[in-house]
Amino acid sequence: MAQIEQSDGGKKKKGAQKKMQIHVDFTPMVDMNMLLITFFMLCTTMIKSQTLNIALPSNEKVEQEQQNKAKESQAVTLILDTERDEEGNVKYDAETGKPAHMIYYYLGKPDVADEDKDGLIDNSNLKVEKFIGNQNGEVQGIRKILHDKNKTVLEKIAVLKQDWKDKKISDDEYQARAKEIRNDSLIQDRPVVIIKAGPNASWESLIGALDEMQINQISRYQIDNINATDSALIFDYLAKNPRK
Amino acid sequence: MGKVKPKRKSTLIDMTAMSDVTVLLLTFFMLTSTFLQKEPVTVLTPSSVSELKVPVTNLTTVLVSPEGKVFLSVSGDADSTYSSEKVRAEVLQTAVAEYNKTHSNKIQLTPAQVAKFSKMNMFGYRLADLPAYLDKEQFQQDELLSDPNNPLAGIPIDDNKDLNKPNEFQIWMRAIYNSSNPHMEQSIKSGEGIAVKADKDTPYETVHNILDNLQTLKMNKFSLMTALKTEND
Repeated sequence: MAQIEQSDGGKKKKGAQKKMQIHVDFTPMVDMNMLLITFFMLCTTMIKSQTLNIALPSNEKVEQEQQNKAKESQAVTLILDTERDEEGNVKYDAETGKPAHMIYYYLGKPDVADEDKDGLIDNSNLKVEKFIGNQNGEVQGIRKILHDKNKTVLEKIAVLKQDWKDKKISDDEYQARAKEIRNDSLIQDRPVVIIKAGPNASWESLIGALDEMQINQISRYQIDNINATDSALIFDYLAKNPRK
Repeated sequence: MGKVKPKRKSTLIDMTAMSDVTVLLLTFFMLTSTFLQKEPVTVLTPSSVSELKVPVTNLTTVLVSPEGKVFLSVSGDADSTYSSEKVRAEVLQTAVAEYNKTHSNKIQLTPAQVAKFSKMNMFGYRLADLPAYLDKEQFQQDELLSDPNNPLAGIPIDDNKDLNKPNEFQIWMRAIYNSSNPHMEQSIKSGEGIAVKADKDTPYETVHNILDNLQTLKMNKFSLMTALKTEND
């Protein structure tokens, strides 16, 4: 392991100190370290889980009069669905490589009138969007729809954010004031989003929808169960626009 | 012809630098990573922009497998009076007492079984078969829990709304809520005490059942476990 070498093969003057070179072989040490690294890499995780807080309404029956009714002009209903194959595995979008989540949405009340009685809804206001996120700094997909709905709040928060970036206000102050703006009842056009998830919708799409609420600073949203009207709307949509 | 003798060179390579690098790497891994918790099913959580960290103490994790099986993990307080082990032992005893009130087949647990249970990070087994399960060896327990075809694995859950006749999931959650650790109750009330963890591809219907049960239990505020992503994704 450790070797001591004498230099100058014996040709030395008397009295001169012997020069010693010490070699310590570090190979076993490196071996051991590598083993330890392998152990740590296999047994530990670098991903720290984050959490998303939600509050669901209580399950108790609420009297009709006590229910909060959202104004029609403010209501946005999202119906989540995920394309799955016969075995129930999530399909992936061929272009983007992302899971094929479909977000059906309508603004205000659903339009289900069928005047000519052909079994199809005449003017369905149901549209479909996807989770795309931002592209080139521009909001896309469903985010654009929600963004446009909550413009006033987002504009106010953008001003606040600039102040915060310029270090004019502290973190806490920024959070508190952003919350105030989100919940400001004087802003008339704050949307109320109702998130409904179909039976096939994957957990990821629900989280994605909740995430959009956070990104778009929407304070009023709720998770609801899908009802017969919603199913009929989607059925109608798929009859008109069959999936490839 | 004279033989040319190759000059013998020393093959010693100085490993000091290499050793330095490996020690640095090792330090990095030890400091930045956390140990993987043993879980009966591996789930890949969806990602969100939320940056709230998962609390380490007083947390009940509800793990939902893609088949809809439910597993629970309870961590206690940082204070050793309410350590994870003590809380788990207490929760088990409360849950069994509650179960025995409503069922004719009474469960009896030995102190050794309770001690074994208190060391388990994640549990999820039918209460009636729990004593037999606790008597098994560790590797057999792991096999039983992670076998997707084992009907006994996972905490039984249904859409029961009547808390006078609670299902086993409701028994467990109430036992956790009512444990003598006051911080657990506080954190559940504030919405930080319960974290639901499900795979991103799990159908919403499966998870909805669990959320519905939590609503029935009036634990309306809770958190959902996610991984981090940026707004651009």
